[in-house]
Amino acid sequence: MNLMANILIQVIIAFLAGSLLLGLHRKIMARVQRRPGPPIIQHLLHSLKFFFKETGFPKTASKPFYIGITFILALIWIVGVIAGPVAHDSLLILFGVYAVYKIVEHNSGSSSGSPYGKLSCVRAVLSAATELPLFAAIIFVYLVTGTMNIGEIIAYQSVHGPLIFSIPLAALMFFMLIITKSPYSPFAITKDKVLISGFETEHYGLLRGFMHFSESIAWYVMLWVFLTIFFGPLTAVGYLVGMIVITFITGFINATTPIFSPNHSVMTQITIGAICFFGTILMIFTGVVA
Amino acid sequence: MLNYMIYILAFVVGSILGLLYSYKQHGEPFVAVTKINIVALIIAIFGWFLAFNAGNVILSAIGFLLAGFVMGERPGYGRKETAIGLIISVIVYWAMPII
Repeated sequence: MNLMANILIQVIIAFLAGSLLLGLHRKIMARVQRRPGPPIIQHLLHSLKFFFKETGFPKTASKPFYIGITFILALIWIVGVIAGPVAHDSLLILFGVYAVYKIVEHNSGSSSGSPYGKLSCVRAVLSAATELPLFAAIIFVYLVTGTMNIGEIIAYQSVHGPLIFSIPLAALMFFMLIITKSPYSPFAITKDKVLISGFETEHYGLLRGFMHFSESIAWYVMLWVFLTIFFGPLTAVGYLVGMIVITFITGFINATTPIFSPNHSVMTQITIGAICFFGTILMIFTGVVA
Repeated sequence: MLNYMIYILAFVVGSILGLLYSYKQHGEPFVAVTKINIVALIIAIFGWFLAFNAGNVILSAIGFLLAGFVMGERPGYGRKETAIGLIISVIVYWAMPII
């Protein structure tokens, strides 16, 4: 298939599947909290709705920055789709995508001039604590498989079995990132309700639509990467079941866990990351991991 | 990948149609419906069965559209029908190679 057509198809799939999964996530949270919850399609309808709403600009906004940042946000996750599901390229590109995402989150908050956005922007710096376990997880995948290339990691797992069984603690570190990125997460300090909607507070209409679009793609890409690098070669049904199961787990965790204060969130992430890091090193040096 | 895009689009369109239809049929505040709607049940079973077992892009897409129609109904409606339809189609999906 033509590369451009493949990219377009994969981006549409990522957006629609990501939106439905986030809708499911919201529904699960509601059911756990004994509420009926919105229909699963609601997140997608919300995203589409914003594209047709009037776009307003706060007086305090740094306009080129304020507008540009939403397009950059969408663009980096499209790069994520290209590097992951389309090209099966290097994990380092996906790490780069996540690192840039943190910068965009930071700048999105500061560009509006809103105090809520600014506070969220400061918290975005703190929440970079999630990047350390992510980087460590990627390093362990490299140490075991000898490659950063997703295609080669899949090939490795088809011979040696899924990495979740050989480096489970590294998978747990990656899973921490997924929990952090999920809506209403205990670690979602940048979107704490005391900050209204955090760095998204002052983005309306079309710009908010792009943010929702990016969020859906981000959720899909992260689940895809996690399933691919830790559960080996999967069929479409395998991906579907895996994504639904992870969405169920995160939905359950988020529905039953209050949001942490910023310092608790960072300390919890770093502590879990450190335990998993040293645990995996111990497993490698004691020969548990071949 | 084109077929997966078609399936997911069909499911989304079905869900939107189901939501619009059920809000037209039931305007009352939220009710946790305990009775099974036979028509919705037949649509769900037929839809999920086609979606997973048709082996043809167009028929599977129609299946996802029908399945999405029942699953996308407003909260409180179409839950049991979806669950029954999904269970039957998954059992058939796993049983097919054995038979």
